[in-house]
Amino acid sequence: MPIAGSAPLTPIAPHSGEALQLLDDPQEWSAFSRPYGKTAACWESSVVIEGMHCSACSFTVEDAIAAVPGVLQVQVSAGSHRARVIWSAEQVQPSAWMLAIQKRGYRAMPANDVFASERRRVETRKALWRWLVAGLCMMQVMMYAYPAYTAHPGDLTAEMERLLRWASWVLSLPVMLFSCGPFFGNALRDLRRGSVSMDLPVAIGIAITFAVSSLGTFDPTGVFGRAVYFDSLTMFVFFLLTGRWLELRLRDRTAGSLEALMNRLPESLERLNAEGGFERVAARRLLVGDLVRVHPGEAFAADGVVEQGQTLVDEALLTGEYHALRRGPGTKVVAGSHNLSSTVQVRVQALGEQTRFAQIVALMQSASTTKPATAALADRLARPFLIGVLLAAGLSCLWWWQTDPERALMVAVAVLVVTCPCALSLATPAAMLAAAGNLARGGVMVRNLQALEALSSVDTVVFDKTGTLTQEAMVIGAAEVRAGVSVAEALQMAAALAAHSLHPASKALCAASSLPAYAASAWTCEAVTEFAGQGLEGHAVQGAQECLLRLGSARFCGLTRGASDSLRVHVSDAQGWLASFELREEVRAQAARAVALLQQAGVQVHLLSGDDAESVQRVAAKIGIVQVRGACSPAEKLAVLRDLQAQGRKVAMVGDGLNDGPVLAGAHVSFAFGQAVPLAQAQSDFIVMGGQLLAVVQALQLSRRTMSVVRQNLWWALLYNVAGVPLAILGLLPAWLAGLGMACSSLLVVANALRLTASAQVPKGT
Amino acid sequence: MDILYLLIPLSVVLVFCILGGLWWAIDRGQFEDIEREGERILKDS
Repeated sequence: MPIAGSAPLTPIAPHSGEALQLLDDPQEWSAFSRPYGKTAACWESSVVIEGMHCSACSFTVEDAIAAVPGVLQVQVSAGSHRARVIWSAEQVQPSAWMLAIQKRGYRAMPANDVFASERRRVETRKALWRWLVAGLCMMQVMMYAYPAYTAHPGDLTAEMERLLRWASWVLSLPVMLFSCGPFFGNALRDLRRGSVSMDLPVAIGIAITFAVSSLGTFDPTGVFGRAVYFDSLTMFVFFLLTGRWLELRLRDRTAGSLEALMNRLPESLERLNAEGGFERVAARRLLVGDLVRVHPGEAFAADGVVEQGQTLVDEALLTGEYHALRRGPGTKVVAGSHNLSSTVQVRVQALGEQTRFAQIVALMQSASTTKPATAALADRLARPFLIGVLLAAGLSCLWWWQTDPERALMVAVAVLVVTCPCALSLATPAAMLAAAGNLARGGVMVRNLQALEALSSVDTVVFDKTGTLTQEAMVIGAAEVRAGVSVAEALQMAAALAAHSLHPASKALCAASSLPAYAASAWTCEAVTEFAGQGLEGHAVQGAQECLLRLGSARFCGLTRGASDSLRVHVSDAQGWLASFELREEVRAQAARAVALLQQAGVQVHLLSGDDAESVQRVAAKIGIVQVRGACSPAEKLAVLRDLQAQGRKVAMVGDGLNDGPVLAGAHVSFAFGQAVPLAQAQSDFIVMGGQLLAVVQALQLSRRTMSVVRQNLWWALLYNVAGVPLAILGLLPAWLAGLGMACSSLLVVANALRLTASAQVPKGT
Repeated sequence: MDILYLLIPLSVVLVFCILGGLWWAIDRGQFEDIEREGERILKDS
């Protein structure tokens, strides 16, 4: 679905063939496939297709996969961006048809959530089926009830009336036994656990109504009289299921987009094999005791001990320790931390569930299932409320029994039904899920529903600069070189060194060195060490030439030149300064507008960056941010944040998570960009895909609307109950009207929440 | 009017038949990707 005002689709980087071949390992198949049919050789796989934006794409992808020999059946859904592929393991490997997809310009990801989505599909089908059964039976029961309401006394023969009641009873059976299954199931489960939920009064009400009506049908002379309520009963169930169905659809849409985030290629790393060489294997295949080689920029996939090499590691996301830590032979490294400076060999000691990383992830997952505070409050209030409802129903039944036993039970039913706090319990989650679904379609994933509540009260937004307000990639501008050296030559030397680092400046140098304009003989570098925040040092070799090369800041390269007004990276060798390259940052196209819109919305915007004050000032001036601080270490960033919070401000932090992990964690609400390291994504409340800054503004505006909808819903539910209960107790509210009222109030709450799914329009212009 | 004694039970049977048809359609996933069949007309091949 095209998003209003979106930037042109960013080209999708294809997976390397090597990475896809990891999927040919039968051990990996079970994560995204299951055996198909009776023959063991056929598998049914689920993959997510990236880059699809219309239904024509789904046919293109379908044709591409179907053309691969060995693929038996394929179905691509344009709505869910998923493909279901049935293939024969004897004739084809998964990487083959995934490459076929890639050749058409799309990207395939194994859908690791195959079980979750399959379970959801079954659940959705069953819910739809229950709803349709209730709906159809309701309509027909209404038909049978109609003559009894309209006939004059004597028009309807006794036999005919009994036949109509019998027919109503038969059609109410599937509704009772099948459609109401979840209500009775939940009520029984609650009773066994000694708790109460809103399904209990509903189940009791339904059961009593059915019992009274059945007795009226088969024993018209009994104590409960001859009244039947099959029409009210089926209608009540139908409306109730309609509300549940809408809620389920809403939840599915959100859950589906969240689970899709978890789809990744299996993590891989290089392991020492029997022949003494290193080969790339999936992390899943590692065993305790294996020796693995980890390159700079890669994450450690397991806990282990360094056997060879010296390096710096970043454990910020695990421990909040933002200084790079030195690790040498004999010291421990933990899974989930990142190798920063040089290649090391590590002996694996603990894997998977046993690693500290897995424990932390489990902790975060449990934290993400926490309920929003208002929903938790509603839940806390619901219990005494429900007990009160049950008591009120029982007492009013007793009271009416003395005067009019025929009506007593139906009065109790009316009380039970009218007070059903469905609307109350739906009020918060429905609105938040609708908002989350809306944001997901706009490219913002909500990891924590509670954050929507926090975001609505935010009055300060702090941006990081690099990778957030500016593009991650820098470009090389003007270059100065020492006499006797050509620009191309200097660039090739710098790039050889830069290839060992993941710093944005290094990436820019590498990107520039492959341009035809800078073609020159290539250099290689050995024994490279990265000095965090300063630069790189290594032995550069080309043929017979050899020198010690340094790349980095002016001070690191021993320069004492006057500071220029632009960001520069320098190269020096044994003879001193060799070259300087100007780096230009591209400010994101949406940055100025996003900031202006935030300021219009009454939000104070700050810019905090680790880069030097001057370049930060320049970017800030371009975008229109007044509160600026450059040259901040992560500790200082955190201190600034704490200062703001101490002034009573509610702060949202927007960053890439690479070096502001602790700050993201410390803010009231945090946004991470989609390219951020996986753990930062896992920690932040919102994840912005595709680098759209305006999405932050949309999220803020939507969260404010969401909270106002939540408040409206809560007030409505409360008023409705306060008005309904006395009427029901006094017997002024028949059961059918109570059912209608309750269902309408639930539908109203859901419909009010659905207003939030309409795409938020960001006002044009600044 | 006597025919009603046949028609009413028949209508009950008919409802069950319709429910059976709906179950068949749901079970085959016909309500899951509703736009797709309509868009098939746009396909070239």
